[in-house]
Amino acid sequence: MLQQHQHHLQYAMTAEPPPSSTPTTSAPPSSTTVEAPPKQVAQAMDRLGQAARLIADIRLGADRLLEALFIAAQPHQSSKPLPLLRQEDESMRKHLQDLRTVGKQLEESGVLNDSLRSRSNSWGLHMPLVCPDGAVVAYAWKRQLAGQAGASAVDRTRLALKAFTDQKRRFFPHLNDEEDGEGTGNMSKKHHSLPAQAEDSQDNLSDCKTLSDILTNLEKDMPNLKVFTYERLDWLKRASSLPASANDNTMEAPKHNFHSSSILRSRTAPQNVVAMDKIAVIELFFPSVFRAVVSLHPAGSTDPDSVAFFSPDEGGSYMHSRGSSIYHVFRQITEHATVALQYFLGMRSKTALHCLLHWICSYQTLFSKVCNKCERLLAMDRQSALILPPVRRPYQSFSASNIFSTQDQSSNAPEAYHIGCFSDGA
Amino acid sequence: MPLKWVFNWQPNAGSTVNSQILNEVSQCVESMNGVKEGRWKATLTFYKPMLRDQALAAEFPREFIGISLPEQPNKYYFILRGNKIVLEADSSIQLIMEKLQSYKSRVALNFEGFQYQLGDFQLRVGKVVPTHSENLRGIVMEVEYLPISSLEKSKQIMDEFVEIWQEAVSKRSLPGHFMHIEPNFSEYGLADHYTSQHTAVQYAHVMGHLIATVQAVQAGRN
Repeated sequence: MLQQHQHHLQYAMTAEPPPSSTPTTSAPPSSTTVEAPPKQVAQAMDRLGQAARLIADIRLGADRLLEALFIAAQPHQSSKPLPLLRQEDESMRKHLQDLRTVGKQLEESGVLNDSLRSRSNSWGLHMPLVCPDGAVVAYAWKRQLAGQAGASAVDRTRLALKAFTDQKRRFFPHLNDEEDGEGTGNMSKKHHSLPAQAEDSQDNLSDCKTLSDILTNLEKDMPNLKVFTYERLDWLKRASSLPASANDNTMEAPKHNFHSSSILRSRTAPQNVVAMDKIAVIELFFPSVFRAVVSLHPAGSTDPDSVAFFSPDEGGSYMHSRGSSIYHVFRQITEHATVALQYFLGMRSKTALHCLLHWICSYQTLFSKVCNKCERLLAMDRQSALILPPVRRPYQSFSASNIFSTQDQSSNAPEAYHIGCFSDGA
Repeated sequence: MPLKWVFNWQPNAGSTVNSQILNEVSQCVESMNGVKEGRWKATLTFYKPMLRDQALAAEFPREFIGISLPEQPNKYYFILRGNKIVLEADSSIQLIMEKLQSYKSRVALNFEGFQYQLGDFQLRVGKVVPTHSENLRGIVMEVEYLPISSLEKSKQIMDEFVEIWQEAVSKRSLPGHFMHIEPNFSEYGLADHYTSQHTAVQYAHVMGHLIATVQAVQAGRN
């Protein structure tokens, strides 16, 4: 079989079609008609070069044909390009035929279909591989070992786009509907989202512009809640010293209590109040329920950039707004909170922090409020095979005025759902 | 520390506890996606005072219990159920008691078995056997909810977990059920925040139930 194709190589200029023999994908390695691997590789590279030259010739020929046709289309010149056309036709057919030949040879030597990868007797050399998108990879095996390095640029881009789309779908589900629209479609969808901004007005937010206002407002609404603020590095110290002692009603000195004027807390150490413009971390602590950490960026602003939930008894330097709790329930809430944060930043950017903090407070009923859908507290989540309380709280139609630390069972109480019971439209 | 409920196996009237029940319970845990983690062991000892004058025996509390727990290897817990006293001591106290020859062990029991992880829950299933015997006296189960430590805040969660558990177990038609009666912790001076002292008190109460069950069975026989 190989002899026949060698024959074709020598008579590459012939116009007759090659015999209709089916090309084999591999020849027996021990046969005397097979060249040694170095020659195979050299031949393959050679043929690839030929194919490239032929393709270039074909492109040129096509250009000439188009030019001739153009001339023929001009009035008074219709017969001039005729010999030109005939000549081009002949040479094009020849080029295409040659290309077909070289292509068959390359196919047989495994360059086009990677069939030689499993060949053992190749002296450590590997045939070049033409990727589906046309890029030539000199060392096909490297694709597997070096991953991206061997992949073509198109493959890499495709992978990157896929990874990005997956992350986007996961963390920004509310942005999905923008994918369908063209330019004008996008504009109309953005207009639809404006009414959501109007909801904020019912939350009486005219007085919640500054960080200080927001925090004061929060403390007023949530008597059960303990709010602390920190400079960024101070939080790290605090996190490492957690968990505090079991009966932690008196605060230790390093903690920065936001409401320095609170008479209820007895302290002997001088109270340190963090300057408003240096606050970078807000800690929301519902005793015995959870501890949430919100990071502001830049410090002193009202722009939250990350949030995480932890057990009230957890401690360690891993406890920060981008950290992860060791408990499943708080990991799940953190993931959901990250999505909610992105929603608030995107759809209610002026009141994002206010909404976020109040939304976080809706989790004070984490261990007592049953799911609004199945009316149970615990449920086995199918996907993760874990038994969890309702860790989802809706954020899209969230209104901060509904969050008070009184009865959980009131009709205005914020809803809670298990992972499986939660639908994104809530 | 995370809170825990200790359960005692209550056999149905006329039936006794056997190791087959233990196997079935373990299988049930595994059917709930429980991951077996390892072994655990706790010990409980009834002490009696070593007195020269036996007439003084009445002045001493009837039940003086010492408990060692696997999560606190350096501690030893004493409970006087009648007086509602629980005490946490260093584990070297056992050595001291031996040297002083003040109290002697009357009965010693081991609680031992396997530990399972179910997400944020940790389950321990164990058999109750006297220290130097393989005679199965009872079965205990511990259910621990790791993320929080408040007994009050966790009550609903634990109630629902028990419901899920009972549902899973009832499919196996076992001759009995797990029982949990929460002792009055405040009588022992314990707070809402869970500690190993709470566990020790629960075990002491489990012992009480176990003894009562055994006595009831014996009374039924007589």
